Formats: sequence, C-alpha cells, structure tokens
Amino acid sequence: MLEVTNLVFAYPDQVNPWNFNFSASPGTCTAIHGASGSGKSTLMNLLAGFLEPQSGDILWQNKSLRHLPPWERPMTSVFQEHNLFEHLSVEANIGLGIHPGLKLSPENQQAIERSLQRVGLEHIGKRLPGDLSGGQRQRVALLRAILRPQPIMLLDEPLTGLDSEARDLLRQLLLEQKARGAVIVLASHDEEDRRILADNVCSL
Amino acid sequence: MSHQHCSRWAAAPHRAPFSRPGWRLWPGLIIACALVLLATAGLGSLILEASLPDLSEFWRNRYLRTVVTFTLWQAFLSTALSLLVAVPLARILARQPAFPGRSVLLRLMELSLVLPSIVAVSGLVSVYGRQGWFTGLANDWPGVSWNLYGINGIVLAHVFFNAPLATRILLQAIESSPAPQRRIAVQLGLGRWLYWRAVEWPAVKPVMPGLAALVFTLCFTSFAIVMTLGGGPAATTIEVAIYQSLRFEFDAGQAALLAMVQLVICGVLWWLAARHGLTSSLLPDRRVASHRSKAGSTVWARLGDGAILSVFVLFLTMPLIAILLRGLPGLDLTPALLDATQRSLAIALPAGLMSVSAALLILACAGTASRPVVIRLTNVAACLPLMIPPLVLGTGLFLLFRPSLGSSNEGLVMVTLINGMMALPFVLQMLSGPMGSLDSASRMQADQLGVQGWYRWRWLHWPRMRRPLALAMAYGTGLSLGDFGVIALFGSPGQPTLPVLLYQQLGSYRIDAAAGTGLWLVLLLLLLFSLFNRLGSPLFRAGLKNNTSRILPEPEHA
Repeated sequence: MLEVTNLVFAYPDQVNPWNFNFSASPGTCTAIHGASGSGKSTLMNLLAGFLEPQSGDILWQNKSLRHLPPWERPMTSVFQEHNLFEHLSVEANIGLGIHPGLKLSPENQQAIERSLQRVGLEHIGKRLPGDLSGGQRQRVALLRAILRPQPIMLLDEPLTGLDSEARDLLRQLLLEQKARGAVIVLASHDEEDRRILADNVCSL
Repeated sequence: MSHQHCSRWAAAPHRAPFSRPGWRLWPGLIIACALVLLATAGLGSLILEASLPDLSEFWRNRYLRTVVTFTLWQAFLSTALSLLVAVPLARILARQPAFPGRSVLLRLMELSLVLPSIVAVSGLVSVYGRQGWFTGLANDWPGVSWNLYGINGIVLAHVFFNAPLATRILLQAIESSPAPQRRIAVQLGLGRWLYWRAVEWPAVKPVMPGLAALVFTLCFTSFAIVMTLGGGPAATTIEVAIYQSLRFEFDAGQAALLAMVQLVICGVLWWLAARHGLTSSLLPDRRVASHRSKAGSTVWARLGDGAILSVFVLFLTMPLIAILLRGLPGLDLTPALLDATQRSLAIALPAGLMSVSAALLILACAGTASRPVVIRLTNVAACLPLMIPPLVLGTGLFLLFRPSLGSSNEGLVMVTLINGMMALPFVLQMLSGPMGSLDSASRMQADQLGVQGWYRWRWLHWPRMRRPLALAMAYGTGLSLGDFGVIALFGSPGQPTLPVLLYQQLGSYRIDAAAGTGLWLVLLLLLLFSLFNRLGSPLFRAGLKNNTSRILPEPEHA
C-alpha cells in the first residue's frame, strides 16, 4: 500500500502550501485531477524524490520513503515529454531502466527486443529519440518504465498530445501493468484517460 | 513483457561506482583550496622574502606611477578599440550567414587565443615594422609617419589578438537571441538600427561587462607583446616591470608591490563585472547558428559588409601570411629546434592535462556543492590565475620551495605547474557550458534510474564532453606551448623551449632562423589542434551492440 499523509510543500513565493493526502493499493490506478497549477506535477516530483517536502510522509508497505534519494525509491516516472536521453539509442534508453551502467546480459537484450516488438517498434532500436514521433517516444519511455522492476509507476500526463492510435496502445499497456499488480499514480487532464484507467480519482 | 511487479523492492540494486556525492565534491574542493593556497603562498613568500616596501613609496616613486598609469591606459585603449572593431564585425557575420570562407574565418579567429604572442609579434613586425609591407605604403602618404614600437604596436597587437576573440563571443551572443524574436523582426522588415536595438543589443548587453573585463585583463597582464614591442621605459607595463625587477634589479619587494597593485586592479574589475551581470560563456562556443535578416540582404548592404570583412581578413591574415612566407626559407629542423620542441611538448602536454583535469574536478565540485562558500571558493580559484601575474606566482613558489629545488628539471616542473594553472580559467570557461548542459528533466530521469557516479559520466556526460574536452586540451596545451612568461624567468638559456629559442634568435638578429622557428611553432599548434580534434571524434561507438550513443552533432559552421 502506498500512503501519502500530510505531505506539505510550498515553493519559496507561495502563500498557501499544498497538503497532499491519499493512499493507493497494488493493482490500482489513482488519477490525480486538477487545473493547471493545482500541484499535480509537484505531487509527482515529491513522490519521486525530486522535491523535498516540508513535512508529512510517504509510506510504502509501512516504510517511510521520505528520506530516500530518487534512485532508492520503488518508483519509476514517465513525464509528458523529455523522457529520453537524446544522444542515446532507443535500445540504450530502455536498457538504462534495467541496469544504470548499461551492463546488459543477452537475456536483457532479448527482453528489450521483445518489448519493442510488442509495441510495433522492432525496427527502431538503433535510432535516436530525435528521429522518432511523439507517440513512438512515449512508447519507448513507457517500455523503460515497465522493464524497471519497481512497483509504483508515476505518470505525469503521459498521453497528452498523442494520436488516438498511440493513446489506445499505451492505455492497453498500462491496464496490463495494473493487472500485474502495479500501483499507478496518473496525473491527467483527460477525462477519458481517467475513465478507462483510474480506480480512484483524487482532486486537487 | 512478462515482468511481474514485485511487492518488495530492492533499493538500488546496481550501485554505480563513485556514486557517493563526496567523489564529486572533495577532489574539486581540494584542488580549489590548493590553488588558492598556492597563489597565497606564492605571493606571501615573495612579500616575506622581500619585506614589502612602504606603500607610500608607490605614490612617491615616479617610475612606479608611470608604469601603472601606462598599463591602465594601454589596456583601456586596447579594450575600447577591440570592442569597437568586434561589435560591427559580429553584426556583419550574424547577418551574412553564408559566404565562401566564413567557417575558415571563424576558425582563424579562434586561433588567436592560442597563437603564441611572440610568433604573432614577428608576423606583425613583418607587416607593420620599419621594413614592413604596410609601413612602406603608409609612409608614402604625405604627413604620415608610422612607428610600430611603443604604444602603437602594443595596442595594434592587442587588437590583433582580442578583436577576433571578442567578435566570436559577440557573434555567439547575437546568434543565441530567441529565434522567434529574430523571425518577427525580419517579418517586420526592421532596418539595421532598429534591428540592433530590438534584437542584437539585448543579446549583446549581458555579455559586455564580462567580455570587457576579460579583454582588459588580457591586455593589462600582457607580457610578451610589451616586452617585444614596448620599445623603452616609457612603454612598460606592470608585468614587464615585475620581470625587470626580478631578473635584472633583484628587487623582490618592488615586484611584490607591483603584483599586489595588479591583483587589486584586476580583482576590482572582475568584482564590478560580476555585479553588472557577468555571463558564464566567455569563450566562443563552436555551435553558431545562422539566420537571415533584411538588413543584410540588399546588394549595397552585401557590398558594404564585404568591404569591411575584407579589410578585417587582411588585418588578420597578413601577419599569418608573413609568418609563412618568411618562415619557410628559414625552417630548418636542426637538433636545437628539435630539442626545444621536445622540451616544449614535455611542458605543454602535462600542463594541458593538468588544467583539463583540474577544471573537470572543480566543475563537478561546483555542480554538487550546496554551500555558497564552496561555490564562491571554486569561482575565486578559477579566476585567480587571471589576476596574479605568473611571474610573481612562479618567483614566490620558487622562493618557497627553494631549499628542495635543485636541478633545472625541477624548475621545468614548476613551469609546467604554473602554465597549467594559467590555462585553467580558459579551460574552465570552455568546459563549464557542456558540463552543465544536462537539462533538469534528464537529471531527474538519471537520478531515478540510478545513473550516478561513473555511469552518469560514461553515458550522459562523456558523449557531450568528448569534443569540448579535446578542444580544451588543445587550448590548454597550446597556451602552454606558446608561453613566454614564466619560462623567460626560470628557463635555462642553454635549454630553451620553442618561444625562448625564438626570442634568443630574434635577440641575436638571426631573423630568418627566428621566422623558421615561429612557423614551426605555428605548424606544431595546428598539428596539435587537428590531433585533438581527431581524438574528439568518435572512432568507435562503444556500448550496446556498438551503436549505443552518438556524439552530439558537429557544430553548424565547423
């Protein structure tokens, strides 16, 4: 169970601090809903450890994550854009999710190839992100998140700006992850995303 | 995709080597402290040894007053003229993005930073000296009497060196102005003056204080140019006066006093520049984008721009052509020349390597440190070598280590160390941009993926840094190869480096041999640059199936 209790944060010039509270069970998707500037991305960054809260806690299986650095937290993120390292090939970008030094076994490489085939991108493994369309880039980012052995997925508007075909495919992948027991926290403006994917909605 | 989400997670299953923050913080911090300590120790030991004279002597001593006033005057004049040349040139180069030879011209302008002063001076003498091509033409005009020696020559040489550097930096600033702004200005059909006010000036303004401070400091601390073109006591700068005090008058107290005056003036200048928005990129980036503007599109505009550019190209290339033409007949690979080459490389290569390594570690430290005092310390350490005269530093350190310094080889080690330090501010400027180019989204991704320490360097920084590192190494080595400052004081006449050999040949009126040595030095520099350029290119693509990462694209003009 992921529990966020009284997680308080304010930017230096912010008068009213945010106070986040919610919980999520394995195999569920919690949608975070709110207007622009309501704190969706801030919550995602707090959960991932990119921002330091002023007070409160984040618990996973009753253990506090608050003082852990991002790389030690059981989470993997996909943002709306800028998910990929532009100078690394698609395969390397996905491979970094498996080993941060790209020390990949033949089995790892086969897993990357299979995952690319699964989403119809088997021919682009050697390409650079700059050569891909927006939908292809997001599919690659999501593949990396899926291949990382972490139980919580933080998705910050991952489907925004994609065509309907790409959205359908990514939604399908996310539903599969949910069925496999992942905790998905999804920040999204899109009502259809929330309807298809979310079990709970948390309004900010 | 059969991965099952584990309910228990293993924290950081693959810990990267050298991933603790201490690895990024401490080596750079130690180097920064060592630099500050060395500079303080160098200056301090000189003061202690010499018992600093009464500060009021500075006001009583007419010679000291003249030296300081002349140094300030020539530096002011050189800076003003360099910027006056650089601003219109940068604007012309920005509005004329495609003409034959533009990229060669930009490369030539980069070379001016490392072209050894003493070699350039020999080229300038061939063009503007008593027997020079230009002097012959100028003296034919009634009422014109041109003399290279004295302030004329000093300012001319400083403009020759600094106008190209300033042009490159200003061009880069103009080209980095927001593209939508430029497009709108073009669409509105703004003329030259309005285009300058709306687009170019806002881009140039933030760079100006730092650029002026850099050019002023380079002219203020100039040594070889003043030594060779000064022409007498009336045209002596602080740096040359320090050399004379140490070498001929054995007056360490006067040298220390002059060094402190220089330190205070340069320190105040950089402090003022920092207060008025010193920007971080004070060395030309090789990535220069091009754009078109209405101001440069008419036939008359192109003709006018072409004429100004031609004059500048002549100004820049004539001394270089003179070096080539005069040097070729005198170029003889004698054992003395080869010996000097070997000695120069033995000093310059380690000095370049030292400056690049120190710069990387200091940048890593500055990027990791959260305490302002540490960040300030790294900034001071980076600027210090620009302000403290290398001669003073060298003499102070020599006095400090004197009991244990025995052979001339140990003197050469000292020269290497000081040359490495002197190249550090330039190398740091060159690497700071690429080192900080990892955007915040990439940093966040890397943090979450555990791409830390060695892995972050290998996979994220190295592909971006490879080419700038090679270029920085070339600059660091090149600056040391052409050094005629510290070596003039510590070098043994029997064991000269290339610039010392050149100076000796000039001094004994072996002009042809000197021209040959100058050409050899330039050829060596070009070889060095192309070698490091080659090393900066990806020969092999390492990693996943040999096709994992790609070096960042070659700059547009390169």
